[in-house]
Amino acid sequence: MAKETAPAAEGKVQVNRREFLNLAWLASLGFLTVNVAGITYLFAMPRFEEGEFGGLYTVGSASELPEINAAPQNHPKVKLWISNTDKGVTALYKVCTHLGCLYNWSDQDEIFACPCHGSQFSLDGEFIQGPAPRSLDRFVLRAVDPETNQVLAQADNGEPLQLPDNPNAVIQVDTGQRIQGQAHA
Amino acid sequence: MLRNANLQDLRKKIGGMIDQRVRAITAGLSLNELRALVRGEPPTEKPNPRYKVHTTSFLFHIRPRYYERGSTIFAHTFRLGFFTSFFFFVEVITGLILMVYYTPSPSEAYNSILKLMTNVPFGQMLRDIHRLGAEGMVIFTTLHMLRTFFTGSYKKERSFTWLTGVALLGITLFLSFSGYLLPWDQLAYWAVTIGTSMAEAAPVFGNEVNLLMRGSPDIAANGLLRFYLLHVVLMPFAAILVISIHYYKVSREHGISLPAKYIEGDVAPGVAKEAKTRIDFLPDLLTHEVFLTALGLLALVLGVTVFGYHAPLENIADPQVTPLDTKAPWYFWWLQGMLKLGDKSLMGIVLPTIIVAILVGVPYIDRNPHRSLYKRPLAVSLGLVAVLALIVLSYMGLPQYGIKTSAATRIVQDLAPQEGAGPVHLIPYNQLQSGVYEVNQSPDRNLCPEVDYGCPELESVFGSYTERVNNAINVGDLPAANAVMLIEDWQQDLKKVTFRIIWEEDEQSKTYERHLYLHRERGAE
Repeated sequence: MAKETAPAAEGKVQVNRREFLNLAWLASLGFLTVNVAGITYLFAMPRFEEGEFGGLYTVGSASELPEINAAPQNHPKVKLWISNTDKGVTALYKVCTHLGCLYNWSDQDEIFACPCHGSQFSLDGEFIQGPAPRSLDRFVLRAVDPETNQVLAQADNGEPLQLPDNPNAVIQVDTGQRIQGQAHA
Repeated sequence: MLRNANLQDLRKKIGGMIDQRVRAITAGLSLNELRALVRGEPPTEKPNPRYKVHTTSFLFHIRPRYYERGSTIFAHTFRLGFFTSFFFFVEVITGLILMVYYTPSPSEAYNSILKLMTNVPFGQMLRDIHRLGAEGMVIFTTLHMLRTFFTGSYKKERSFTWLTGVALLGITLFLSFSGYLLPWDQLAYWAVTIGTSMAEAAPVFGNEVNLLMRGSPDIAANGLLRFYLLHVVLMPFAAILVISIHYYKVSREHGISLPAKYIEGDVAPGVAKEAKTRIDFLPDLLTHEVFLTALGLLALVLGVTVFGYHAPLENIADPQVTPLDTKAPWYFWWLQGMLKLGDKSLMGIVLPTIIVAILVGVPYIDRNPHRSLYKRPLAVSLGLVAVLALIVLSYMGLPQYGIKTSAATRIVQDLAPQEGAGPVHLIPYNQLQSGVYEVNQSPDRNLCPEVDYGCPELESVFGSYTERVNNAINVGDLPAANAVMLIEDWQQDLKKVTFRIIWEEDEQSKTYERHLYLHRERGAE
């Protein structure tokens, strides 16, 4: 490229060998920096084991789930509420979408209510009222056949999981995949 | 032998040896010169050894040789930059001492703080100073920035210095914030949960940033260790680096800016010349710094003793229970206020990014060459608007603003907060007389005739309880309310206090109650 244009005629100084090599060293330093940044990211990013919050968590078999429209199941170790409605099973993240407080199930009113700022949510996690900007966050849920390890049903986008007929199906929650709840108008 | 010795020669020889040693240590200042410095006399030798040390000594070469007289006027700088760095050194030193007793693990952290406060001589005092110094550093950094803005000192050759200053504001805020979590109490845990939840609002990298900082989806052992390392290693290093760059610019390149009145408009030649006379570092600036340091240390010590500033410590962190009225550290209230105004990603990420961009860009956006307040009305009024906005937003960030709490919860929370101390905690133990105190039923005075001198504190708490419940009844928040304060003997030296409010809502009877237990030896909470 450089040789095709008129050399030095426009006062341009051509890249000489030393300059080229020095620039190459500099560029390699740039690559090194990017590499180090990438390595640091991979090093510092937490990895999750099965059963731990952030990894794959087994709730139990389908028959152990709460009855339809009954009080939800609390899983304090992994910050989960498992609720069962006509629409299916949902795994709700225990943290209020407003400012990160932990909400509770109120048996009397049959709603989730946040003690901090009074946001309320229905059993399937839909926003009812309060300062929260969106419905509750959910996790990806799936039902697995315990014998064949075959995935019988999976809810990828946080929608309620339709239970398969197999009562022994193992219900697993991928607590690393949190789907944000729908924002309300 | 002795008779032959020439004593004068010997004295001269020894004197010369001592002088040589002293000069080697002081980078060229003789004993006589040191004495002249302390006495405030002119230099004893030529060339002036007080300037020479600035090239031969490392510690002196990073200090200024002189400042111009006009720039050292107190009402021009208020010594804000000095005190910001003073607080930083206080933080480094007290922080290093506190590390002796601190263990960064969820099972140990809270206990190590308790032990530090109760079982280590001067432990509580050092912790209080560390906390007060942190607040001071945040306040003084902000004030320093405002001063620089209003005196127009960020222009031309000082624009890069302003940029490093903006970086230092961010570093200071993050230093303070990362230290917040370390005591591992409810205050720390939930304030940091809320603070990091704000980062989560960022669209693409929010979740990643959060995972990197917390080390897990919620704050646990990994998160505590990471915040600890950020607080004691990474951020202090960053601060030292950027402070050095910032300070070197001031001390070695452009000095402190002269007030506009000496360089703009009609300035009498004599006045301008007088303003530019030099005040040498040795001895005047140095002695002034020693004086300011003493003043700062005095203020810190008086603050944590006479004025009773204490670093708060609430109950041990419980990731399963969020206390009422949880809020971010006060220097992030403006952000929380903004988050209440609208969409989380717009208010939490887009607007703050724009604000930072504007702060960084101030010297390049503002091309007005004048520095006097009167000659840049637009910049000054925008600055004032920004300050007002910051204050209003901070107010809006308070949990009391814009968040509906039921009247009963609010009343009880204000009297007896779930965390920290409220009016109820200030009632002396002997005044906690067992009994049922019912609003509008019990007498409002002479509550405890058996106690000598009565019980004024208990009466005042019950009085404000009565007043607030009645207000709520009148406004219609608590229809047909029945409010009770119950004090029971629970164990030896332990009283149980119950607040219970029963009211009608939607033709149902609703109850709110809270219990707290007060021990005779509870001390000042």
